Amino acid sequence: MSDHALRIQNLRCQVAGKEILKGIDLTVDRGKIHALMGPNGSGKSTLAFSITGHPQYEVTGGSVELDGEDMLALPPDKRARAGLFLSFQYPAAIPGVKVANFLHAARQAERPGDLPPAKFRALLLEKMEQLGIDPSFMGRYLNDGFSGGEKKRIEMLQLAVLAPKYAILDETDSGLDIDALKDVGSSIAALRASEEGRSTGFLIITHYPRILSYVVPDVVHVMIDGRIVKTGGHDLAHRIEREGYDKLREESAVVA
Amino acid sequence: MPSPAPVVAGRDHTTQELYDRVAALDLSPLSVEQRTRALDRFVSLRSGREKPGRFWRVDFESISPEAGAIDLSAANVRVENHDPAVFVCDLATAARESPELFARAFGTTGIAATKFGSLAAAFAQCGVFVHVPADHACDDPIVIRYSAPAGAAIFPWSVVLAERGARVTIVERLEGGAGAFLCGATEVVTEDRADVRYAAFQQVDDDARVIWSRAARPGPEARMSWASAELGGELAASDLSVSIEAPGAEANLTAIFFPRGSQHVDVVSTVEHRAGDATSETIVKTAARERGQARFLGNIRIAPHAQGSDARLRDDALLLSPDAHVDSVPALEIGANVVKAYHGATVGAIDAEQIFYMESRGLERAAAERMIALGFFEPAIERFPTVALRDEIRTSLAAKLT
Repeated sequence: MSDHALRIQNLRCQVAGKEILKGIDLTVDRGKIHALMGPNGSGKSTLAFSITGHPQYEVTGGSVELDGEDMLALPPDKRARAGLFLSFQYPAAIPGVKVANFLHAARQAERPGDLPPAKFRALLLEKMEQLGIDPSFMGRYLNDGFSGGEKKRIEMLQLAVLAPKYAILDETDSGLDIDALKDVGSSIAALRASEEGRSTGFLIITHYPRILSYVVPDVVHVMIDGRIVKTGGHDLAHRIEREGYDKLREESAVVA
Repeated sequence: MPSPAPVVAGRDHTTQELYDRVAALDLSPLSVEQRTRALDRFVSLRSGREKPGRFWRVDFESISPEAGAIDLSAANVRVENHDPAVFVCDLATAARESPELFARAFGTTGIAATKFGSLAAAFAQCGVFVHVPADHACDDPIVIRYSAPAGAAIFPWSVVLAERGARVTIVERLEGGAGAFLCGATEVVTEDRADVRYAAFQQVDDDARVIWSRAARPGPEARMSWASAELGGELAASDLSVSIEAPGAEANLTAIFFPRGSQHVDVVSTVEHRAGDATSETIVKTAARERGQARFLGNIRIAPHAQGSDARLRDDALLLSPDAHVDSVPALEIGANVVKAYHGATVGAIDAEQIFYMESRGLERAAAERMIALGFFEPAIERFPTVALRDEIRTSLAAKLT
């Protein structure tokens, strides 16, 4: 079936022999914003890494399909070229590799030959301006010596330049102040307003509902102890804001 | 006809052949006597490059040129200089026509006190003298190219005198065919406030050998930058040294090396702070691949009276294969008490998180590794003069990564 969705079915994953994901079912539709909430240690980042193919995360069962294509059979770079993007909670620093050169290489890898260098540069400058990133960052080494906020902005810049089919944002809000959070919100809005990013599906991972004031999700999933225990609308985020996770944890324990 | 060297008891046949060659080398600027004494030092001195372990393939004590390969006419020397105010000539001409200027630089850096500096002196047969007059800024880089045909042994010697307030950039290129042996020396004297950027780019054939000594003496408030990229050769050994004897000088040393296959690189950098209030910064980036071996010995010596010295040394090594080996040995001797001295070193493989990060942006693993490895060199590449040279170094490194 060739549908337009990132479809995760009964996904199980272990790290260093310990099962973290215990059968995840979750479907992100193109053009929709999904929020994945849950307390620390519930397995949210593990889900992000197992979808994108981190070698230390061993998938032991289930499936991940992107528009009908099996992702689990592919190495991480091919998953990215299929249209998957991960905004890292802790992006790696790559000394000596300039932001502009790296982004050009990434864009070339994902969309070979679609933009000549001059046009790419213009696109990059436009996106940097939208995100309030100083143009001097083009010549800086990727994430090398960047503050937490700068790293997250550069992740958002990559999201904007690569305009993936599906974007997973792993705790992009963590460690950000309100202004930076607003910028993340507006960068997602800007991507959704663009031609390329109109149909991007989002999976926004967070354990604070705060970011969801700036990015309004269509669907909210709650993950506890490696399982999705509740799925609902935007109001579910508000409920978590009021009650925390404990009540949901109790409910899910009763159901289990 | 010059007479052969006297036969000395206990000297082996190969060494005797070298003495015979020297006895026939009555070639300005060095006399037969000076050359014979230099060869004596080569034979008797130790290299200071002892084998640190059994896995080390190269024994520097046994390295010697084949007497039969020493070919006085073999060296191909080319110089590009577009500045008529800068005086460039061979050493014999310099010694004959500008003896006073020449003597201010030639033989003043102590190069010929080392084992291989002595070997270079014993057979010094071709060379270039560059003189930049006072307060003259030479904008176009001067390019000196030494090239050895396959199988030949050549012994070039470069001498640079930058008078007070002069400024110049020099690029020295070393090329050699299969089995060539290059043993040379470069001496740079920068007088008061002069500024010399000297880059050496070594790309000899993969089974040639290069041993080079480079030494500089900056004057008061002068600036001296060495940048060396050793990319070719089955054996590449170089000394990079600056002796600061006047206050306020600034020394920058940069070295890039990348042995792969069965290449072996051995670099010794030495900064002597003999006068105070001077700064030095040494940056070394080494990668090794396949069975490539590299050793870096970084010396910083601050004399007891050299107060106010600021010396920094940074060396990083990247291991790209399990069989590759890099040995990095910093040695700081600090005699003064009002100084800043910094040393930092890392050695390791490419970080798996860096690779995954780049893969998650669509880059294939090999492309990601190449980009990370090239990036590793970049802070050193940026210290080389001229855009064209930097690009050429990047291209050569990229070729070694594929």
